[in-house]
Amino acid sequence: MIAFPLRRRQRRDEGGQQALVLDSDWRRPSVRWGLGTAHTVLLVLLVIIGLGPILWLVKSAITPTQDTLAAPLSLFPHGIAWSNLTDAWNQVDVGLYLWNTIVLAFGSLVAQIVIATTGAYALSVLRPKYGNVIMAALLTTLFVPSVVLLVPLYIEVVHPPLIHHSFVNSYWAIWLPEAASAFNVVLMKRFFDNLPREIFEAARIDGCGPVRLFVSIVLPMSRPILGVVSIFAVLASWKDYLWPLLILGNTSLQPLSVRLPAIAAQTELGVFLAAMLIACFVPIVGFLVFQRAFLRGTGLGGALKG
Amino acid sequence: MAAIRFDGVSKVYGDGTRAVNTLDLAVEEGEFMVFVGPSGCGKTTALRMVAGLEEITAGTVMIGERIVNDVSPKDRDIAMVFQNYALYPHMTVAQNLAFALKLRKISKAEVDRRVRDAAAALDLEDHLERKPKALSGGQRQRVALGRAIVREPAAFLMDEPLSNLDAALRVQTRAEILTLQKRLATTTIYVTHDQVEAMTMGDRIAVMRDGVLQQIGTPEQVYTQPANTFVATFIGSPAMNLLPAPVLGLGADSLLAGFRPEHIHIGSAPNGCVAFQAGVEVVEYLGDEQLAHLRLGEYPLVAKLPVEQRLEPGTAAAFSVARKAVSFFAAETGAATDPPS
Repeated sequence: MIAFPLRRRQRRDEGGQQALVLDSDWRRPSVRWGLGTAHTVLLVLLVIIGLGPILWLVKSAITPTQDTLAAPLSLFPHGIAWSNLTDAWNQVDVGLYLWNTIVLAFGSLVAQIVIATTGAYALSVLRPKYGNVIMAALLTTLFVPSVVLLVPLYIEVVHPPLIHHSFVNSYWAIWLPEAASAFNVVLMKRFFDNLPREIFEAARIDGCGPVRLFVSIVLPMSRPILGVVSIFAVLASWKDYLWPLLILGNTSLQPLSVRLPAIAAQTELGVFLAAMLIACFVPIVGFLVFQRAFLRGTGLGGALKG
Repeated sequence: MAAIRFDGVSKVYGDGTRAVNTLDLAVEEGEFMVFVGPSGCGKTTALRMVAGLEEITAGTVMIGERIVNDVSPKDRDIAMVFQNYALYPHMTVAQNLAFALKLRKISKAEVDRRVRDAAAALDLEDHLERKPKALSGGQRQRVALGRAIVREPAAFLMDEPLSNLDAALRVQTRAEILTLQKRLATTTIYVTHDQVEAMTMGDRIAVMRDGVLQQIGTPEQVYTQPANTFVATFIGSPAMNLLPAPVLGLGADSLLAGFRPEHIHIGSAPNGCVAFQAGVEVVEYLGDEQLAHLRLGEYPLVAKLPVEQRLEPGTAAAFSVARKAVSFFAAETGAATDPPS
């Protein structure tokens, strides 16, 4: 990876790793100018590609609708329409749908984490007698396309076995199927498999039963993978369209992903774009706030002789 | 503290591997017992069976008066120190030390006292709020020891706890463990493949090979009266010299004669000694002594000699060994046997 000189020095100090381009090379003008220019161009391109659409959305959300319609590609708006944002919040009721989305995403997150961690813990650490068979069955389900499951899953949600109470128009119909994610269990199990067994054995000798071992040792050591699964869970739930559309007929329960396309036709463009901005704003802020906590490698430093 | 007893203990894995074979052994109360042997000899498996981390295929393990075959590890009142430390990476040193005590619902004041005492004993007081990754290897191993000490268990089980430390730190930590064990007088089983550790630390040593106990005794007994050729060559560095007894004119073909490198002397034989002429192949100068690699006929020998008597490689010299320093083994079985009359 090519990096700026400052970053390069920091990296070397932290990990003692060699950078791709040596310090002595960087002192040569041809390398410094050539790579420096390439860095700048790449950075500008990345900003345009990555941030461009979001900045364009911000600009359009506060531009009067007529202005956007008249000159959709103009860089600067003629006047600012803050009312788009207030209208989106009050008239389109984007606040309600945002709340629905948050509840759905949070519920999915909790359900997926609970099932993935407990399932993986049982398969990886407790190791039941037929664990390998269960694992093989789980892996098999990964090969079934989700679209194929749509109809059987719908029938099951409408007529669930044993309970005999339809889950239509209930968030449980979203949370429960999402919780049963074989991918999460497999991912989590692979991580648990790599945790050092000696630590589990030390904990068992120290007095941990299976539950305490899970709560006090395995989960705290699994923060990196919990972060990964959490991001997957929240993003998937935030963007999910088809299943909530099928299950949640009641518009007051629908999330943004279902509601925004539905209101697009009858909502003023500026207000609609403002609603989209609000919808995007929350996950972006959420990611920025939590990314360090989630993605920081807490790792196993010092647990074992490396 | 409690005695630990193995009665006919065996461990057979699913693939038929017999890791421990009918082990009968008793560790006395407060004793420092060392299990020593090469890799795969079953010493760690035996230790793990005491800890409850391995199922026992046959026989019984007793801790104190209790058979513990079916007792879970947490209820055996033992503490274990692992080769790789096995510290909890997300906890501070203080939390690592206190974890087992908290699980046993010991009062906070008592937990604090024991953690403080252990930290003081192991020179960890300044590191209590640090996490394991901020500690050096020696400090981590001391935390692992501290975690065992605070429990005040009936027995310590130590699985090669020094093997990841560098040579200087190993010697220092070895002394610390010994001092600690003598002060606490807690029954200890210590597993190592390093015969120097075994000799210097153990009240008694159990030498194992291929799952079978070869000999048990004090370091001196094991060194001076090895039960068989395996023990004779495994304990002691360099290993005991072994060669057919007739080569030294000491008996029949069915016997092997063994003598330690330090028992070889340069020069002709005084009374009660056996003399032989051997070629000098290589001389390793070690500062305070020298190791001479000799060849007597087709048999290689090693002699540990004082540095004052320098030997020239490529020459031949006269050597002797005291008759009483020679051990005899049956050539067929390797078992120690009486000297020929």
